[in-house]
Amino acid sequence: MKWLRWFVVALYLVVATAPLVWMGLSSLKERADTISPHAKFLPTAEAPSDPTSPSFEATFEAYRELSVVHAGAQQSFWGHLGSSVLIGLVSTLASVALGTCCAYGFSRFRLPGAKDWLFFVLSTRFLPPLAVVVPVLIMYRTLDLQGTHVGLIVLYTVFNLSLAVWLMKGFLDEIPRAFEEAALVDGYTRGQAFVRVVLPEARTGMAVTAVFCLISSWNEYGFAMTLNSSGAVTVPAYFAGLQGNIEGMPWPQIAAGALVFVAPIVLFTVLVRENLLRGMTFGTIKQ
Amino acid sequence: MRTNSWTLSALLAIGLAACSGESSGENATLSTAANGTPSIKVWWFQWDPATGLQELGREFQAETGIAVEVQQIPLASYQEKVFLEFGGSRTNFDIVIGDSQWIGRGASGGLYVELTDWLPTVVDLATIHPRAAKYLCEYPEGSGRWYAAPCETDAVGLAYRKDWFEDPKEREAFKARYGRELAVPATYEEFRQVAEFFQRPDEKRYGCAMPSDRNYDGLTMGVQNLLWAFGGKWKDEGSNKVVGHLDTQGTADAIEFFKTLMKLGPKGCERLDYGQVLESFTNGSTAMILNYFAFFPGIQAQFGDKVGFAVVPSHEGRRVASLGGQGMSISAKIPKEQQELAKRFIAWFLKREVQERWITKPAGFTANAEILSSPAFRSKTPYNAPFADSVDAMRDFWNVPVFNKLLAATQRYVGMAVDGEMPTQEALQKLAAEKERILKEAGLL
Amino acid sequence: MTSTAQRTRPLAWALVGPTLALLVAFNVFPLVYNIASSFTNAELIGGEWRSVGGANYARVFEDELFAGALRRTALFVLCAVTLELLLGFALALSLQRGVPGKQAVLTVLLVPMMLSPAVMGLYWNLVLNGNYGVVNQALSGLGFDPPQWLTDRDLKFWSILLIDVWMWTPFMMLIALAGLNAIPASIYEAAQIDRARPWKVFTRITLPMCAPVLGLAVLFRATDALKQFDLVMAVTGPNDAATQTLSTLLYQVVFRDGSVGLGAAFSCVILVLVIALATVFTRYIDRLQSKDVLA
Repeated sequence: MKWLRWFVVALYLVVATAPLVWMGLSSLKERADTISPHAKFLPTAEAPSDPTSPSFEATFEAYRELSVVHAGAQQSFWGHLGSSVLIGLVSTLASVALGTCCAYGFSRFRLPGAKDWLFFVLSTRFLPPLAVVVPVLIMYRTLDLQGTHVGLIVLYTVFNLSLAVWLMKGFLDEIPRAFEEAALVDGYTRGQAFVRVVLPEARTGMAVTAVFCLISSWNEYGFAMTLNSSGAVTVPAYFAGLQGNIEGMPWPQIAAGALVFVAPIVLFTVLVRENLLRGMTFGTIKQ
Repeated sequence: MRTNSWTLSALLAIGLAACSGESSGENATLSTAANGTPSIKVWWFQWDPATGLQELGREFQAETGIAVEVQQIPLASYQEKVFLEFGGSRTNFDIVIGDSQWIGRGASGGLYVELTDWLPTVVDLATIHPRAAKYLCEYPEGSGRWYAAPCETDAVGLAYRKDWFEDPKEREAFKARYGRELAVPATYEEFRQVAEFFQRPDEKRYGCAMPSDRNYDGLTMGVQNLLWAFGGKWKDEGSNKVVGHLDTQGTADAIEFFKTLMKLGPKGCERLDYGQVLESFTNGSTAMILNYFAFFPGIQAQFGDKVGFAVVPSHEGRRVASLGGQGMSISAKIPKEQQELAKRFIAWFLKREVQERWITKPAGFTANAEILSSPAFRSKTPYNAPFADSVDAMRDFWNVPVFNKLLAATQRYVGMAVDGEMPTQEALQKLAAEKERILKEAGLL
Repeated sequence: MTSTAQRTRPLAWALVGPTLALLVAFNVFPLVYNIASSFTNAELIGGEWRSVGGANYARVFEDELFAGALRRTALFVLCAVTLELLLGFALALSLQRGVPGKQAVLTVLLVPMMLSPAVMGLYWNLVLNGNYGVVNQALSGLGFDPPQWLTDRDLKFWSILLIDVWMWTPFMMLIALAGLNAIPASIYEAAQIDRARPWKVFTRITLPMCAPVLGLAVLFRATDALKQFDLVMAVTGPNDAATQTLSTLLYQVVFRDGSVGLGAAFSCVILVLVIALATVFTRYIDRLQSKDVLA
C-alpha cells in the first residue's frame, strides 16, 4: 500500500514537473536551441561541436534580455512586472479588506435580505468577464480609466470580492461568538471587538483568501488584454502580445519571464502554506 | 426580497447609464500632447519596411524638427489594437498604416481623414500604380475618393533554396524520378512535384510552407493565391453576390489542392503565421515558401546567394498574387494640429526624391509606378524584380466596411475545409450563405 | 435581541455596504447595457444603435456557432473537473498518509496552479509543437508516430483540456488535503477500535466527511472552467471552430467582428444559464453549512 502510494505521488510529480523543468532548461538556452529538431536537455559550459548533440551551452542571456523592449511593447518585461505587482498587491489587499468586513457583517448581523445579497455576491463569480467587458470598456472610457493601473485595480478587486466574501464567511462562521461577547462584556465596542478579537482569529482565513485573490489577479488576462492594451500592461497581456513576432517567439525570454513571474507567488504560498492546509474547508467540516 | 434587491440594482444601474450617456457625447474635446518638440506617432506592424520608414522619419526630423516615431506591432494582434484605439475618443497614433482590407471600415466609419482634396496638391496621382490606388487608397474602389496615401505595395511571392535546386545530385535524382529538369516551379503542379521531391521528414527536410494561420488572415492570404489561379472567386465581379460564385468548382479545386500541399511541409504546417512560415525557411529545413515579398529581406541577408525568389506559380495560365501592402491614413480622432503635422510628413514622404530613398530601404516597395518599373529598382535586390513582376498580378480580398466579419467567416470555414472537419463543398456553401447574410445585414447586398 | 440588532444595524450596513455597492455598480450597469444593446445592431466602433428586435437572439439560438460553443464548454467543464477531482483526490489521499519530503513535494505540486494560463498556453505551443516540440521528439524517439497535438482537428480540444488538468489538479489536491486534515483523528481511532477494514473506513468516514468540501471545490473549479479563455486564446486563437468556448466566441464576436449587439444577446443568454447554476450552487452551500455533517 505504502509503495503504491509513493509510486502514485512520484509518477505524478515527474509528469507535473517535467514541463517546469523543461521551462527552466529553455530559459538557459539560445533561441535556436529551443526550437532545434534535436531536443537539447543537457546544459553544458561549452557549445557542443555536433549540432545533433543533446547538450547545449547554458547561458543566462535570456534573463539579461528580459530588459529588451520587444516589438509591440513599449516597455521591457520589468516595466510590465512593475504594473503587475502594483495591480496585484493593491487589489488583493483591497479585496481581502472589503471581503472580510462584508463577510463579518453577514456572519454576525441579521440583515434584511441577507440571503438574496449573498446569492447576488456569489452569482457575480459565475459570469465570464468577456460577457461584461464591453460595458466596462465603455464605462472606463468615460471615466478615463482605460489603460490605467487604477482601472484594473478596481476591476480585480471587484471580481475577487465574491470569492473573498464567501471564503471569509466560512472562516468567520467558525470563530465562536463567545469570543466577541466576552470582549463586549469587558467594555469593548463592536468595532474594537472586531479589530482586536475577531481579526487575529481570522488571520488564517485572510491569508488563504489573499493567496487566491493574488493568484487570480496576478494571472488575469481577459480584462487586461482588452482594457489595458496600450497602458499599464500586465505581464500576461504583454507576453500574449508577442505572438506573431516575425523574428519568432523569444522562447528563452518567455521561459525566463514566466519563471520570474511565478516566483513571488510561490514564495507567498510557501509562507502561508500551513494556513492553506488548515483553512480551505469553507466551514463544511465541523469539529 | 429578491425582487427588492434587483429593483435597487436596476435603479442604480440606470443612474450610472444616464451619467455615462451624458459624458460620452463630449469626446469632441481632445487633449493635445504638448511636450516640447512636435512629434508624430505612426503605427505599423512589425516587419522590415517599418524599420526603413523609421529611418526615413529620422531624416524628416533632421529636416523639419518634427520627430517621427514608428511603432511596430506584431500582426497577430495589430487589427484589434488599432480598432480598440479607434473605439476611444483619441487614438494613440496620428498615422496608421492600415492593412489594405481596412480601408472601407476606416473610410465609412469616419476613422480615417478623407484626403481626396488634399492629396493631389502634394503628389501627381497619375504616378501611383493603379492597383495600389484601387486597393490601398481609394474607397469605394475606383471612386476617386482617397482615404490613404500610398506607402507600401506588396504581393505574395516564392522564395526557394537555390543551393538545393542547383545541387547536381538533387537534379539527377529529380530527373530520374520525374523525367524533367529540377527548376523553379512555374505552375502549381510543378510546385507540388518539387515539394514532394524535397519532403523528407526523416532528414528533417520539408517541401513547402505558406501562410495558414487562423488568427488574423494567414490562411485566407495563403489560399487565395491558388483560389484565383484555379478559377475560383470570393464573389461576383460586378456585384457583391457570393452564392454561386464562391461555392464553385474552381474554389473547391483550389482548396483541395491546398490540402495536398499541407501534407508536403513540416508537421503542423496547416497553422503557420507569417513569422512561422519564415522560420520554417530560416531554420534551413524547408525548400520553398510562399510569403509576402516584404518579409524577404531577412531571408536574403541570412542566405545570400543560397536563396532565390520568383513570382507565385500559375495554373492553366492564370497567375494571381495575394495583394499585401498598405496606405498611410491619418486618424480622424486626433486634434487638427496633429493632423496637419501628419500631412506634412506624408507630403514629404511622397516626394519623388524621398520615394527614391524609400526603395533603398529593405523592402521599401514604393507605389510610384515609374520607380517600380525602373531598372534601378528592379536590380536593387534579387527579390525586387520578381516583386515588380507580381504587382500587375495582385488582387485583394474584400475591403468593404464589414471585411472583418467576412474575413473571420472565411478563416473559420476554409479552416474547417482544410482540416477536414467539413467537406470542402459544404464548407463553401455555408461560407457563401454566411457572407451573403453579413453583406445583407450591412446593406451591401 | 431585537434591540441589539437594531442598534447595530448601521454598523452592519457600513460593513457590507461598500462591497455590495461595488458589486452592484460593476455588474448591474453591464447587465442593463447588455440587455439594452442586445436588441440593437450596436457595433464596437461608431454607428448609431438601431433596434433590430429579437434578431440577435434568433441568431444566437439558430447559429450552430453558439450551440457549438455551449456544448464544447459543457464538455470541457465536465471532463476537466472530473479528471482534476479524481487525480487531485488520489494525490491528496497519498500525500496525507505521508510520503518522504512531504512539504517540498506539496510545494512543487502546487506550482502549476500559480502560473499564468495565458503565458503557459504560449509555452505549451513550444512543448507540443508538432515539428520540434519536445513531447513529439520524445515520442518519435520511443518509436511512436507522434500526434499533432495542436493542429489535429480531433485532438486540439483535448490538448487544451489536458493543459487545464495539468494546471488545476493541484487546486483539487489542496482542498481535498485540507478536508482530509480537518477530519478529527478521534473518529479514525474509534474506527480502529471497532476494527473496521480500511476500505470501509474510506467509504464510511473519509469519503462522506470530505464530500462537502470536495463538492465546493468542484463547484469553484466548474465556475472557472466555464470561463475558459486564456488557454484557448494562446493555443488556437478565438476563431477556430473546433475549440471555441463561450468566452473565446464572445471575444471573436465582440472584438474581431465588432458585433456588440450580437455579443450582448449571447451574454444575456449566458447570464440566464449562469443564474440557474448559481442558484443550485448557493442552495448547495447553504445546505452544507447549515447541516451538521457529523450527525
